[in-house]
Amino acid sequence: MRRLIVIASALLLLTLLGIAWWESRRVKPVALIPTITGQVEYCLTCHADIAQISKSHPVQTFGCVLCHGGEPLALTDDLAHSTLRGGKNPSDFSVVQASCSGDKCHSGTAETYSNHIQRATTSIQATYAGAIASILYTFGAQPDLTAHYGITAVEDPLSTSGITELQAFDPMAQTNPFIKLFGQNCLTCHLSAQPIDGQVYTRFTGCAACHTPTQTAEATQTTEIHKLTTAISYTQCDTCHNRGNYDLRTMTFVPRQDTPTDRLHNYYQPIAQFTKCEYTLDCVDCHTRTEAMGDGSLYSNKLDIQYIQCKTCHGTLIALPQTRTLTDPNDLVFRLAQLNPVVNLQLGDTILVTEKSEPLWNTRVMPDGTYELVGEATGQLFGFKPVMGSGCQQDPNDQSSAACHQCHSVQR
Amino acid sequence: MSDTRLPRRDFLKLTRTILLSASGLLGMGGLIRFLSYQSQPPAPTEFDLGLASDYALGSRTILPQVPGMLIRTEKGFTALSLVCPHLGCTVNVTSDGFTCPCHGSRFLPDGSLRNGPASQPLTILRVEENAEQHLILSTQ
Repeated sequence: MRRLIVIASALLLLTLLGIAWWESRRVKPVALIPTITGQVEYCLTCHADIAQISKSHPVQTFGCVLCHGGEPLALTDDLAHSTLRGGKNPSDFSVVQASCSGDKCHSGTAETYSNHIQRATTSIQATYAGAIASILYTFGAQPDLTAHYGITAVEDPLSTSGITELQAFDPMAQTNPFIKLFGQNCLTCHLSAQPIDGQVYTRFTGCAACHTPTQTAEATQTTEIHKLTTAISYTQCDTCHNRGNYDLRTMTFVPRQDTPTDRLHNYYQPIAQFTKCEYTLDCVDCHTRTEAMGDGSLYSNKLDIQYIQCKTCHGTLIALPQTRTLTDPNDLVFRLAQLNPVVNLQLGDTILVTEKSEPLWNTRVMPDGTYELVGEATGQLFGFKPVMGSGCQQDPNDQSSAACHQCHSVQR
Repeated sequence: MSDTRLPRRDFLKLTRTILLSASGLLGMGGLIRFLSYQSQPPAPTEFDLGLASDYALGSRTILPQVPGMLIRTEKGFTALSLVCPHLGCTVNVTSDGFTCPCHGSRFLPDGSLRNGPASQPLTILRVEENAEQHLILSTQ
């Protein structure tokens, strides 16, 4: 009997020691109460080493769950991540409404410059409507180039373009084998598409396709990048726009065959003509937010929304580029410059604006009549002059890029 | 020569006592830990800012624990919340007022709105002097 009591005591002690050991190994939760939600979340218990995604989204204010979803009080991987939105990418368009919306966030109004989700999801880059319409027209499946289909069905009752809805494109419902091949091989560049294999094509989907830099030196572990930026390098645009061509005869993607090692050779494909400013600047230095993200209406072709030309910044022989002197502290330019502070804009500064009055906020008109532009992605300062008063003999009415390239193209 | 070996019965008794004592201590430790557990306290809503006389006339004192700013003028004490009314980031104090580092809203030195995206001024907080001449700031 005494022996049994001793054995039972030993077992009791072992059990208690086991519990104490298990307790000592248990994860100690690190609590965060974000200002916006006021709800405790324990994500930082494991993720305290993740860099803050941007200064506009401080973790103390937003926390993690507001954007990413997930179980805020869970302390195990599987449970905590079981309800994540979009995996590691809550900006994927399938979940962007749940992740990024809010009238103070990205689903506000055009007047408050915060209707980003509506603009992005109706943009040509999201709908791919232009490419789809072109293929359907080329192979006789529709009588004109007007867009009727997008990657997903989308409605825009307030569209100013005349197109108020797009149906979801189903290439397998088409009878033409080339259109089916197009569906199989060529739908890899829109904002909901998974990119094709290869580091140079690596990007996320949705908003992060452009705003999360997967093609910079810091992107050594692409899937772990936790960053949103408006300083978008041309290399990010190139994940879709400059890495090869679609061959319409075989309906396949043909990658670039060259292996460029510098900016001059990397920026454009060998066959392309371009000027010095086109490869020294980044795409976003000239192409506006409306061109890239849309203006909220549906369009049939990227040419319907893209309008920037050389004259936008350089003017013509008979007209200077348009400018605006900043008098309103609520001017959009101050917000854009705050997001990407490569320039220190002040009330009273005069900047260039586009033909649609979009601000080229990273430019400035200098007292001597010349202009300055600061690269949004590089911070590099560029000075340039208007065409008016120069020796340029270009026809002011011919503003095609080919006309400027006749004299100003770079030789490689 | 006497036999110094511990009798078997005494050995078992001693072992049992040691094991039960150790178990009891461990169990008591666990119980104390359980009973003394304190959940995360709620964020404070009242702050004792110390003696009113410690704040000079014309002073603008940042209160990082609030976060807020205590302002003493000839009219008395006022306090501003440094939480941006747009989305809740903590605004920075600048030479011409306050600027939100998150989205660029700016406020004049008295907390009124200079430019958005915020649509409201900085919140004015209640600050009172108690019987001990201490300033008590309330965020509610």
